[in-house]
Amino acid sequence: MLRTWRILAVLLALAMFLPIIGFAQLANLPRSETLILSMLTGRVGTPSNFNEWVGWKSRDRGMQNLANEPLWSVDFATGEIINGLAAGDPVYDSNFFHVEIPLREGVTWADGAPFTAEDVVFTVELLMNTPGFNNHAFFSENVELVYKIGDYRVGFDLKQANSRFHTTFLDRWGCTWIMPKHIFEGVDDPITFEFNPFVGCGPYKLHSYDPAGYWTLWEKRADWANSPTGILYGEPGPTYIVFQAFANEGAKIIAQLTHQLDAVDLSAEGLKAALAQGDTVRAYQRGFPWVVNNDPAITGFIFNNAKAPYDNVDVRWALTLAIDIVEYAGQAVDGTGALSPVHIPSLGSYPENFIKPMEDWLKAFTLDLGGGETFQPYDPDAPARVVEYARSRGYIVSDDPAAQEAAFGLGWFKYAPEAAAKLLEKNRFSQDAEGNWLLPDGTPWRIEVVSRSDTSHLEFKNASAAVQQWKQFGIDAVHVPSDAAATLTQNGDFDVAGNWPAQEPWGAGADLYRTLDAWNSAYVRPIGELTNGNHSRWSSPEMDAVLADLRATDPAAAAATIALGIEALKIAFTEMPGTPTFGYIGFLTWDEYYWTNWPGSENAYTQPYSHWGPLKYMTPFLQPTGN
Amino acid sequence: MAFVKRYLIPRLISFVLVIFLGVTAVFFIPRFTPSDPVQRTIAQLQSQGSYLDPGSMDSMIEDLREMYGLEGSMLQQYGAFWRRVFTGDFGVSFFQFPTPVIELIRTSLPWTAGLLLWATLLSWTLGNLIGGLAGYFSRNRWSRALDTVAMIIRPMPYYIFALMLLILFAYVVRLFPIAGGTDIGRRAALSWAFVSDVLRHAFLPALSMVVLGTAITFQTMKLIVQNVNAEDFVQYAKLGGVKERRIVSRYVIRNAMLPQITNLALALGQILSGALITEIVFSYPGLGTLLFNAIVTGDYNLIMGITAMSILAITTAILVIDLVYPLFDPRVRLM
Repeated sequence: MLRTWRILAVLLALAMFLPIIGFAQLANLPRSETLILSMLTGRVGTPSNFNEWVGWKSRDRGMQNLANEPLWSVDFATGEIINGLAAGDPVYDSNFFHVEIPLREGVTWADGAPFTAEDVVFTVELLMNTPGFNNHAFFSENVELVYKIGDYRVGFDLKQANSRFHTTFLDRWGCTWIMPKHIFEGVDDPITFEFNPFVGCGPYKLHSYDPAGYWTLWEKRADWANSPTGILYGEPGPTYIVFQAFANEGAKIIAQLTHQLDAVDLSAEGLKAALAQGDTVRAYQRGFPWVVNNDPAITGFIFNNAKAPYDNVDVRWALTLAIDIVEYAGQAVDGTGALSPVHIPSLGSYPENFIKPMEDWLKAFTLDLGGGETFQPYDPDAPARVVEYARSRGYIVSDDPAAQEAAFGLGWFKYAPEAAAKLLEKNRFSQDAEGNWLLPDGTPWRIEVVSRSDTSHLEFKNASAAVQQWKQFGIDAVHVPSDAAATLTQNGDFDVAGNWPAQEPWGAGADLYRTLDAWNSAYVRPIGELTNGNHSRWSSPEMDAVLADLRATDPAAAAATIALGIEALKIAFTEMPGTPTFGYIGFLTWDEYYWTNWPGSENAYTQPYSHWGPLKYMTPFLQPTGN
Repeated sequence: MAFVKRYLIPRLISFVLVIFLGVTAVFFIPRFTPSDPVQRTIAQLQSQGSYLDPGSMDSMIEDLREMYGLEGSMLQQYGAFWRRVFTGDFGVSFFQFPTPVIELIRTSLPWTAGLLLWATLLSWTLGNLIGGLAGYFSRNRWSRALDTVAMIIRPMPYYIFALMLLILFAYVVRLFPIAGGTDIGRRAALSWAFVSDVLRHAFLPALSMVVLGTAITFQTMKLIVQNVNAEDFVQYAKLGGVKERRIVSRYVIRNAMLPQITNLALALGQILSGALITEIVFSYPGLGTLLFNAIVTGDYNLIMGITAMSILAITTAILVIDLVYPLFDPRVRLM
């Protein structure tokens, strides 16, 4: 009897246990119609709240990349600015006190209501009049009046001349979105309103979300043809798109290797692991260097220009010339970055518009080493040296000069420790008997290089590589990774920081105003106070003058903005407030088991990331494999 | 009366004092870190690609300081903080503005409590049961075998052990999901489909905690039992012909359980601190990652909310165990 009971107990336990065994992670969704993407910014803290206009709402959970449609989007892969809800470019008056924006006709919100100029007017008025919205200060300080000019045109009277006012609506991983008036106008408190379910003009609508914040599921709109995506590019492929958060990289790789994750951003090491083990996994580039190297950001490090000795341009140049970029890039990113000697990345239209026209000037640029000696630091052969490094590592690198130029850039600086030493000696630095550098007052020179603590981040990698180079040069350099790095650099509490040496450019168009304005002297604050501009705290009257000219120039006047951009880049190059190294690198992998026609480097029809806004413009081109 | 005066009242006083000092520390410590929540919010928005017009930044910072309640002296903020604590209001999260802290905790707490409560109780029960028997019958072969297994498992770093389970059961033998608390597209409902889904996702995280927890409790209990077993009163009982089952249950295990009950109370009290590594390895929702992110982003209110509740839970657990301890240990009653 006892034996029977035991057997029954075991069977009951098994019956209870079996239903909880199961590997698949989709509940009642056809995998072949579902695209699963990793969420870059991780678990959503406020899963039920979609009110993007207040605080941080994890907009990469599918809001900006699928369900929302901005007025314009930057596509850095094609260099285009895509008209979304806008029907064309903004039209400014000659003084930049008035701007009109034409809007696209025939667009409806996901709930069927038509999109009109009233939505834009309502949004701007609400943001102007309601403290608590992220952009309340911007609109209340800039807009005198917003009004509709017919159903599909809006006008803005500005409080001050602003030739770049419209860029607040230009999506480059976030911008000011338009609210559906018919929903928000009935809300008592728009700050605490959760805007759940999210309603946008994009081709997808909210299906469901994890109350714990690990996934958000979107469904293709039945009326997708009424979205700008549908109008511009046709029907999106996937019926469902999931954004899933993973708390560790190992899980992401396992998910992709088991075909449960179609696209994911990894670390350098993770990318290699995924490519090595996944038969259907591919990277952005089919061969070395594999990575996404056309992201519109330049990495490197910044000097604290408000603090001695980094307030001395000779010191900044000396530290730059003490770097062997081949070793540096090898240590930081295994040689996969595209070098840039100027403060914009070598990608898209930037080499043709800015870097190549500067090459003669760069070659002729001369530093005064003191004692009558001069030195020309620019090295157009630096990328070729990185190519040699890559080949020595066994990587196959194309012999095509154009391919090499795209992958490794146009040039950088000579490795010139002797010139660096002379620049320092010119400024009364010296070396002790062991070759360690001493400050002009004779005390040992110690450089603390701050960076964020995430080891896979390029700020960390740049800081770490710089420290190694300067140690070899004889400086007591230490790397200080800190979770408070952002606060430290914003307040000027650092010597050198692994950081972007310049504000990221738009990534499309010929206007560098976004990059250059961060060096506006109006934003520089004393050490200890938060700076609104570049954390290097550098500015110059010459740069201010260029900015004044640029503000008075129509952003659509390409020749004029390029000329001013080049002038500004020369000033920044001469002063070297921070040192640019290589462009931002994305370690992206796609699984081609369920979906193909990803926008890889051989077919870059749009930007490749799933967390950028133009993902929605990628969806009509993705093709199911039939698996 | 003497019991109340000498035992109960001092414990109640220390309970109140610990909470007051702990919560006070929780208020001040984040404010002495170099991380400023307003700057962190702005930095986060910028690093995530938002272009905040530098010309409007000063006004934005002023707005945020006002909304976050960071205006006024630290003493004024401290006073306002205690007023709010008494009503259970920890204010709004700075980083996930304007969501109230209590709502964020409410979202994550069920996952943490559900996982840790069962994992703690199960590992405590199994560890004590097996450890007690293994300690009493320590010369038996099975006891030594179990000891060897525990010795192999216990020194393993938890992260490695958990990752090993994940790789084994979610990649090599594909039995359990890789990440999350529920299937994608699953809506919460009172149904077997939902419950089994939650159990399926919780299985590996729970297993990782139960196995390691059991090994630790097993070894502790075995050692205690071996010591108690060598005590004179046990030897005397054996010589006196008391039945072995009675010796094990009434003499040995009961005495050995006293420190283990204290450990259980502390472990249960610590549940509100979350299980950060478990949450990271299994991408499992809970308070651990919520607290970690709050620290990284300088979200004072959220840090205070979670840690204040944790302090309250631990001190309450200690108080409860102090109050019920006389029931288990008659010696305390005779104080």
